[in-house]
Amino acid sequence: MSGEAKATTERMFFRQAIRRAVAEEMRRNPAVILLGQDVGAFGGSYREFDGLLAEFGAARVRDTPVAEAAMVGIGAGAAAAGLRPLVSITYMDFLMLGLDPLVNYAAKLCYKTGGRMTAPVVIKTTAGAKGQGVAHSQCLEAWLMGIPGLKVVAPSTPADAYGLLKAALREKGPVVYVDHKRLFPTAGEAPLAESVSPIGVAEIRRHGRDVTIATHAYMTSIVLKAADDLAREGVSCEVIDLRSLAPLDVATISASVRRTGRLLTVEEGQATCGVGVEVAARVRESIGAISSARLGALAAPVSSNPVLEAACIPDAARVATAVRALCGRAVPDR
Amino acid sequence: MMLIRRFEEALARRPDHGFQLLSSGEEAVAVGLCSALTAEDELLTGGRSIGPALARGVDPGRLMAELLGRSTGTNSGKGGRGHLADRTSGFFGAHAVVGGNISIAAGVALAHQTRSEPGVVVVLFGDGAFGAGALHETLNIAATWRLPMLFACNNNQLSVSTARDVVLAPRPLSSLALAYGMPSHTVDGMTLDTVTAAAQEALDGIRAGGGPAFLEFESLRFASHSTNARETRPAAALAVIRARCPIQQFATALTDQGVLDADARAQLEHEVDARVAAAVAFADASPFPTPDEALTDVW
Repeated sequence: MSGEAKATTERMFFRQAIRRAVAEEMRRNPAVILLGQDVGAFGGSYREFDGLLAEFGAARVRDTPVAEAAMVGIGAGAAAAGLRPLVSITYMDFLMLGLDPLVNYAAKLCYKTGGRMTAPVVIKTTAGAKGQGVAHSQCLEAWLMGIPGLKVVAPSTPADAYGLLKAALREKGPVVYVDHKRLFPTAGEAPLAESVSPIGVAEIRRHGRDVTIATHAYMTSIVLKAADDLAREGVSCEVIDLRSLAPLDVATISASVRRTGRLLTVEEGQATCGVGVEVAARVRESIGAISSARLGALAAPVSSNPVLEAACIPDAARVATAVRALCGRAVPDR
Repeated sequence: MMLIRRFEEALARRPDHGFQLLSSGEEAVAVGLCSALTAEDELLTGGRSIGPALARGVDPGRLMAELLGRSTGTNSGKGGRGHLADRTSGFFGAHAVVGGNISIAAGVALAHQTRSEPGVVVVLFGDGAFGAGALHETLNIAATWRLPMLFACNNNQLSVSTARDVVLAPRPLSSLALAYGMPSHTVDGMTLDTVTAAAQEALDGIRAGGGPAFLEFESLRFASHSTNARETRPAAALAVIRARCPIQQFATALTDQGVLDADARAQLEHEVDARVAAAVAFADASPFPTPDEALTDVW
């Protein structure tokens, strides 16, 4: 007589998860508006805003000119005045045109007014290499981690894209939400019920004993692939998807490293002053000396040439090599 | 105007909390503009913000406390010069990044428009901000979206030491806004009634749904860029500039009209001095923030 268990999740692509999060928050809160290039009838560069103009109208879904400084500034000002703007900056490389209002105004407003005002603007942008060249491929999220008053999230799954974007649109202050270009064609299970993912909580994607690998965004899938390969060599990797870069979930990472004794950080951006450097330092401050290594892009621009692009950014083989070196394992015979 | 002048003079005598950005000579711009605003309007400014804040009605005591770093200040002593804010007075705030408040103001105007709230958002910025790309970007968007917003350029002729003619091409500056289809005027910023009338006319048009407008007020800065910046203008030129005092000009006009006599002016000066003294006393009696407040209000 027992029926089939009712599904609690549904499979969706990244863009669908984003669209769902934005639509739900716009229905829930009339203060949420969307600003960006091609976000209206075009539906966003990745169709992640499909249909929002039709549902919410031109007053709440606004196409902007190519003017990132004003877009972020207008978003920050509207947020300070009580709206909850989501500003879409197509590529993270262009976010630097809008860093002044983000860093000097939005991230400072709460502090400089003694807590009387805040600017809860969400900047949604897209990082990562996918054949678009030196000024359209960068992962600059580490730049933003040292700005007090700013939160930074970078999901690796559609479920987290959904949950973290919803959380960002309910935060007290400004949040930068970073997608990755290579994640848009990917799908995953997301909860059917409306849910919000708390910002500041990392997720252990794979449990292991020998080494902790801390990573985020698209690199999570690369690291999981490397972990599969390493498991066949008898190396057990624990893979932590940071999800939130600011604040960092130091407790989860530290607890893992305390078990495994080793930390490898993997990111697609530059290793110098990168996410991994900060993760390792914070873990050391938390639990003392550890054995660690970092892996990031080569210290070079990311070319649109596929040979050079692939040479520049970490892949599963390089992750595995770094793990073996960290664990003192010989390279297996092939 | 007298309150602004005396307040800033009192502040200039207090080097104990760093340099200050004063506006002596530019009082008519602040007072004329603010006299045309209502409680529903919002004012944002650049860093030279003491005059506009006082003209908007911010309490002088809390303002002085903020400028002297006291926790009773408008920003709990955390903002300081260049970042004064008091929303309850309709003073949305100053922002000390030159040109940095222009797009912010457009966002505030967008919030008003989106919520169908009355009120015009005014952003007051100097000729020093005029060359910033943010101005062009924001003019374009404000005009396209017909935001209820007044761009008010207080052209005091100097960006720190650099004369506007050396670095800014449009003549007059207000001609830039014509390209965006905005009502746009350049007026004398040293004459109170002229500023008030121009502001009122521009605001009436914006309130009637006419979209954004641009005003350039030609003013003169009596002092150097800040209380610790070198004065580069020759003494003779400064004397000519200071002879155009907007306060004296307005007082003379009132006297000519029979509205103000010597006794009344002395009485006004006495009242202003008392208010400034009370503001300084309030600030001096207030505590500094405690060091642990460095970590509060960050998020």
